[in-house]
Amino acid sequence: MSTTVMIVDDSLFMRKMLRDILEEEEYEVVAEASDGVEAVDKYKEFRPDLTTLDIVMPNKTGIEALQEIMAFDPAARIVMCSAIGQESLTTAAHEAGAKAFILKPFNPELVARVLKEAAES
Amino acid sequence: MDMSQYRNLFLSEAREYLKTINVTVVGLEESPSDRAAIDALFRGAHSLKGMAASMDYGDVVEVAHSMEDLMIRVREDGLAFEAGVADLLLEGADLIEGLLNDVEQELEPRRSPGDFARRLAAYMPPQAQPESQSAGEPQASTQAQGPAQAQGSSQPQASSQTPGLSQARASFQAQGLSQAQAPSQAQSPAEADKGKEAAGEVSTVRVRTELLDHLINLTGELITNKHRLLNIGRDLGSAQLNEAVSETSKLLRALHDEVMKVRLMPFDAICDRFQRSVRALAKRSGKDLHFELQGREIGLDRGILEQLTDPLNHLLRNAVDHGMEPSTERIAAGKSARGLVKLSVTRDRDRVHITVSDDGRGMDPQVMIAAAIRKKLITPEEAVVLSPRQALMLSCLPGFSTAKEVTDVSGRGVGMDAVNASIQKLGGSLTIDSEPGTGSRFTLMVPMTIAIIHALVVQCGKVKVAVPVTAVHRTVELRREQAETVGKRQVFQLDDEAVPLLSLNRILGMPLGRFPSGIVPLFVTEAKGRRVGLVVDRFLGQHELFVKPLGRPLSKVRGVAGGATLGDGEIVTILDVADLL
Repeated sequence: MSTTVMIVDDSLFMRKMLRDILEEEEYEVVAEASDGVEAVDKYKEFRPDLTTLDIVMPNKTGIEALQEIMAFDPAARIVMCSAIGQESLTTAAHEAGAKAFILKPFNPELVARVLKEAAES
Repeated sequence: MDMSQYRNLFLSEAREYLKTINVTVVGLEESPSDRAAIDALFRGAHSLKGMAASMDYGDVVEVAHSMEDLMIRVREDGLAFEAGVADLLLEGADLIEGLLNDVEQELEPRRSPGDFARRLAAYMPPQAQPESQSAGEPQASTQAQGPAQAQGSSQPQASSQTPGLSQARASFQAQGLSQAQAPSQAQSPAEADKGKEAAGEVSTVRVRTELLDHLINLTGELITNKHRLLNIGRDLGSAQLNEAVSETSKLLRALHDEVMKVRLMPFDAICDRFQRSVRALAKRSGKDLHFELQGREIGLDRGILEQLTDPLNHLLRNAVDHGMEPSTERIAAGKSARGLVKLSVTRDRDRVHITVSDDGRGMDPQVMIAAAIRKKLITPEEAVVLSPRQALMLSCLPGFSTAKEVTDVSGRGVGMDAVNASIQKLGGSLTIDSEPGTGSRFTLMVPMTIAIIHALVVQCGKVKVAVPVTAVHRTVELRREQAETVGKRQVFQLDDEAVPLLSLNRILGMPLGRFPSGIVPLFVTEAKGRRVGLVVDRFLGQHELFVKPLGRPLSKVRGVAGGATLGDGEIVTILDVADLL
């Protein structure tokens, strides 16, 4: 059975790109969410094996969503997506339980490797 | 990874972000402490940067990044969101729009961001207050860049003195939030919609506009054919056929409505341009005003919407430049210092009313009349019979302008005559209401959809012609003795106005009608801002017509808006009455 993933990003463009990369790697994208609130709701509904979570989003930031998801499911495997220049946030995200980081703009091979490690951790 | 497949998605989403940025910047000038709007601006620039980086569009990344950094200073370093910041963000949005256009047309970037990023980084508020200097280290490090700083802060701006600003700054500092933890409590309506749309991404598709035109064309042909079938059914007296045709009519009506709906676009699609232009005009003329927009959600045919931009821009320009008094004059007249310009859209069945109003100095009918006489546009005799409403409509005469001087603001663009002409071309009409001292209101009434129109079909000599009902104020059956002669002209009284009478037969080169019964049929329409009565031989009733644009050379014939087929197959000419007179 393939690994299930939820993609969270407020940009449709980013979600589409990430979905294509993941599907190429034979992940099964079971849900997409476009803000922090939707991310928490859909996590509870779909319980994906992996979640990619953007940081800068409306309604609830990625960090807030991360904290809520981890509180609901301490075993959640969450990979944060951040842009260059947001390195300062990685500590906060690590403390909140994020498994790994991928940087925008996405490098398909790097994304694949990071997600594989996160899925196997 | 082949990124070209994402180009269109990138372009459409990037433009959505730009639109949000434009609208939010203008909104923030009204309420500079709106935390949710500040967050939304930051996110907009941030998302643009990330998307452009993925596409490897370096110039867009550079501009968006500098906008994001400026917004970080507003969010976290207590930089006040004042006019200088707004200007730079709008300039950045324009720059990106230009870059996107180059991308779309697959051109080498023609525009370069130049020193934009540097100017943003060096931006300092016009009256840097000690508290903000001590709070923000970035300012200290950029102060060395003297010339750029002067450029960024050279525009004087009234709203930077708004009391709300210092409060806004104080609250940012008190919150002291880091970027990641900043909660965004409220969500703007635009974002709420966007969320919905994104969630149901497969529920919308993009179609070419030619396809929409083709659909409308086919629907129109079907409706014309329905009229033929109706006639045949009547001739044959077949109840079965009539029933089938009547059922088909209902289906066609439903099809027509659906096709029309597909072509509708919300008025919102052109709104951000108006916000931008009013803002720029107010700034250039140094006037303090509030711009209000209502009815963004009202849908109009995309073709009509496109044609409305220029006339509305002109009306707004007039409102700001001529209608609105300077604050000092307003206060002296006992009004609030800040003026109000309003653009509101409402729907009335299949018509849309668009109103541009202001609470400025208004227009005086007597001044209008005097100016028109001085410019020899009307004679003093004609002036005597003008009602106040007719006097206001004099502004639509070619060559009329009451502007005391030609300013940079008013001197450009189309005049009221062009506004009126373009509205009539759409099958619409313009009315002006004004009260000296309290303000003016310009109302455009346009059809919500085009292509299928209701028209009054009339007989003139041997020909039948159609006049869109939107151009017909009313029909009148006049007793011959009700026509009076004033000077050399025939007129009749309508609502206490003397309305000139003209013969449509004569205008079309047909022999004049005789009216043996003593009843003269005529319809009242508007030409060059004034009402006229056009006499015809006979009314043939109101018809639903599918307008066919005419090809060359017929399209060059004056006064002809198009052609249509009546149910019996007869071809009628659709007149553009305003153009004809």
